Amino acid sequence: MSDKKGKGVSRRDFIKIAGASGIAAGALGPAFLFPERAAAQQKTLKILQWAHFVPAYDKWFNETFAKQWGEKHNTTVTVDNINLTELNTRAASEAQAKKGHDIFMFLSPPAAYEKQVIDMSHVYQEVEKKHGKKIDLAHKSTFNPKTKKYFAFSDSYAPDPGNWHKDWWTEAGFPNGPDTWEDLRVGAKKIKDKTGIPCGLGFSQELDTSMALRALLWSFGGAEQDEAGNVTINSKGTIEALKFAKALYQETETPIVFTWTPPSNNQAMLGGQVSYVANAISITRQAEREKNPLNSKIMISRALKGPVRRIAAEHVMNCYVIWDFAENKDGAQQFLIDYIDAFHDGFVAGQFYNFPCFPKTVPNLKQEIAKDDRADPANKYAVLGDVLDWATNVGYPGYATAAIDEAFKTWVIPTMFAKVARGDSSPEDAAAAAEKEYKRIFDRWK
Amino acid sequence: MAVGGGKIKSIGAAQSPLLGFAMFSPALLYIGLLIGAPFVLAVFYAFSDARIGGGEMHYVGLENFRSILQSPSFRKALENSIIFTICAQIIVMVCANILSIALEKPFRGRGLVRFLILLPWVAPVSLGTIGWKWILDSIYSVITWVLVWLHIVKPYSGPYWLGEAKLAMASVILVHCWRLIPFSTVILLAGRTAIPKEIPEAAAIDGAGFWRTTFQINLPIMTPILSVAVLFGTIFTFTDMTVVYILTAGGPYDSTQTLPSLAFATGIQGSDLAAGAAISLFLVPVLIAIAYLMLRVAHRSEVI
Repeated sequence: MSDKKGKGVSRRDFIKIAGASGIAAGALGPAFLFPERAAAQQKTLKILQWAHFVPAYDKWFNETFAKQWGEKHNTTVTVDNINLTELNTRAASEAQAKKGHDIFMFLSPPAAYEKQVIDMSHVYQEVEKKHGKKIDLAHKSTFNPKTKKYFAFSDSYAPDPGNWHKDWWTEAGFPNGPDTWEDLRVGAKKIKDKTGIPCGLGFSQELDTSMALRALLWSFGGAEQDEAGNVTINSKGTIEALKFAKALYQETETPIVFTWTPPSNNQAMLGGQVSYVANAISITRQAEREKNPLNSKIMISRALKGPVRRIAAEHVMNCYVIWDFAENKDGAQQFLIDYIDAFHDGFVAGQFYNFPCFPKTVPNLKQEIAKDDRADPANKYAVLGDVLDWATNVGYPGYATAAIDEAFKTWVIPTMFAKVARGDSSPEDAAAAAEKEYKRIFDRWK
Repeated sequence: MAVGGGKIKSIGAAQSPLLGFAMFSPALLYIGLLIGAPFVLAVFYAFSDARIGGGEMHYVGLENFRSILQSPSFRKALENSIIFTICAQIIVMVCANILSIALEKPFRGRGLVRFLILLPWVAPVSLGTIGWKWILDSIYSVITWVLVWLHIVKPYSGPYWLGEAKLAMASVILVHCWRLIPFSTVILLAGRTAIPKEIPEAAAIDGAGFWRTTFQINLPIMTPILSVAVLFGTIFTFTDMTVVYILTAGGPYDSTQTLPSLAFATGIQGSDLAAGAAISLFLVPVLIAIAYLMLRVAHRSEVI
């Protein structure tokens, strides 16, 4: 006999509860068992990009822009940020598995992936309607002239200026830092002879070195290819650049530069262990953020002038691709189009690290960077105002093709320079060996 | 089990072919899916023009092999793979023998010493190598810092463990040795404890000293187990890319590049999947030869 007033449950109550539970389970069960179906109402957009050198940019992009865009478009936006050295490996695995993110951001032109990404012409057209033409650097970095396809969309690039220690260079007779490659050799030698502190221009198999040595190569008249895409690495200009690199290394550097990874030259400069490096403004921004005592000592300068021209590669080239297997291609394209509308906010959040590929998105760029409250002195970054006069794309004077991409990622240029710098190869032999390697790679991508 | 008429009758299940197959199938599945399938895929890619991101593939015969044989990086990687493996194995065998002799006799704290020696083997290779990368770092190397502190070297003058070709090669070999010595020590220790005590005792009564006992009695008896340690060590070193990838990434200027690291750099990072596969196939003849030797040694010594 049951006690109705007790804490037990009567059969009638049990049936009521069970019935209610059954109805609830009927309604909610599929959502519990098959959450992907329940979420089908709301779209998803998955983005992968690097962990920015300026963390404030990631905070703005992930927590403000992407979040607000998702709310506006009834889309769950997820952003994964990974170390820049892992981007290529991750891209390869996604491309082979045909599964992964909708939008994938590379830091150099990913021409090799052209067949597995959608044409970005539509995105460029929509953005250009609102924000005017893109810069040539973006075009050359994301367009394949043979197939007439934009394999990527570039929103921005990072300049690759010189970073130098004001006190040491002033004492060496260069109060405004080195302006030419010859200044660098002469001044850095004086500093090293006096203090033992070497120059930090990289000769390693990594991103920063690849960009710095391309600047050196072009400044002396050398190039990997011509405008039509023919291999031209074995030239008088290249040999002159190699001769200079050997002198620069032997007179001003130590083997430390063969060990650089992307953050190494930042660490060395911030630790006061090198007098000059070529890098983006991540070094000075880190110094400001961490209140490094060298903050007011580390200065920025334009690309160095060589016997032929003043030129440098962009430090990183933001290249967004949308995989052809992406689940939300329309959303991905719209996201990138809308992202350019908000580019100025990103430019500010990124503390001027990323310069616009659509100049009208930051119409007062020169004025904005000329006065920066974080910087010491406040006009530290003003020198970057004319960056488009000296910044160019990987593959200059031609396009950033798939062959150029493979040569870039397998470090042909740093290896050529390093062998000569160490005296393991003559400039002529190294240029000939590089030519052979370039022709081998170009043949494979014909 | 029933015994009758001099014949042993087994319970049916023990001899059931189905049960045997069921017990064998996990191993078969493992080998097929994780070794067989990737190997067949690599062979397939090596004779094609496969690219990462490329939609279609075509048969290109030996073109990939012809192309990589022209590459100086490949020739250097092949040379390095052989040098690293031989040097590492010589050092590992000498050190493992010394350690196994030292650890054979009981002493206070032997358990702790054995545990500490085993640590490098049980720790994930990537973590251990990252630790070594910090120790050998070009800017913050603790070894260099101590040398500067002791006034043995001047500031900013090195040594640059990972920045000079020979030092970088020595560093890679050192880390391989650090990782493999515990493994070989354990194997040799097991072999040494299996030697019947009467044999070295009889040798001692006959007047044999330490060196004679070691080289003319112990080592010959231990040859089969020694061979197993060498062959396993060779495979681990020859096929490893973690140490090189983390420590030097093949640098400076390809001077520490090995076949696995070059295959990865070319095939995955450089997007040339076909060339990467062709490079990796150069490991196969060496590995087949080692596998054959291992099976022979195992058969002779009745290890299996």
